Amino acid sequence: MDPGRLPLFRLAEQRLAWLDRRQQVLAQNIANADTPGYAARDLAPFARVLARSGAVAPWRTHPQHISSAPPAPFGPARPERAAAERTPAANAVQIERELMKVAETETHHSLSIGLFRGFAGMIRTALGRVG
Amino acid sequence: MDLFKALKVSAAGMDAQAMRLRVVAENLANRDSTASTAGGDPYRRKTITFEARFDRALGVETVRVKRVGRDETPFGTRFDPGHPAADERGYVKVPNVNSFIEVMDMREAQRSYSANLAVLEVTRGMLTRAIELLR
Repeated sequence: MDPGRLPLFRLAEQRLAWLDRRQQVLAQNIANADTPGYAARDLAPFARVLARSGAVAPWRTHPQHISSAPPAPFGPARPERAAAERTPAANAVQIERELMKVAETETHHSLSIGLFRGFAGMIRTALGRVG
Repeated sequence: MDLFKALKVSAAGMDAQAMRLRVVAENLANRDSTASTAGGDPYRRKTITFEARFDRALGVETVRVKRVGRDETPFGTRFDPGHPAADERGYVKVPNVNSFIEVMDMREAQRSYSANLAVLEVTRGMLTRAIELLR
């Protein structure tokens, strides 16, 4: 059995990858909080990414088949729509807002890791091991 | 891995802000540096600008110091005929450093530095938790 094929593990993997990526985008925003002309960016919400990745895709049943598209990336980080106020140097990064998003990302990351651990524990129990 | 990239981006941000603090320190330290020859120019205030830079190796946009320039605003003058830098009318040129501006700049740099540090700590926590899954 390939645990990577279990839907819950797959979902957790995608979710964690999205959160990692988002953390990187937010770090970039904060690092550029004083760069002239820089506007804060963000990824598309995870729900939308998930809906897109659920689309029908061809399945490889033979090694000579052309491999299907690589796992959907999360798309480029786009400038935030609700443009924050701009400084005279045309910088639009609100540190407070970005830090709030960082906290949110961290919480979701903890949650995903916790769920992953719980599910792995269930499998371990099913295998007859304790802990 | 994206979390490692996030760490590097935060580190680049802290680096840039530290450089900014250095420039502020130079300006404040030279607030009274006048010339030593008659009519000479005193210390000229330094300025710093940042730019977002795409790091090809990492595939992310980090930040770096674009240029440390010179503030071209005119110098102030002070009447002090006994000063070695006084011109024939007895005026000494003083640096164009305004300590209020410098202190404000320092506060802003400090705030941005702390924000970068906070993100770095959060990212590190996320990494640690992911690694602990191995146990």
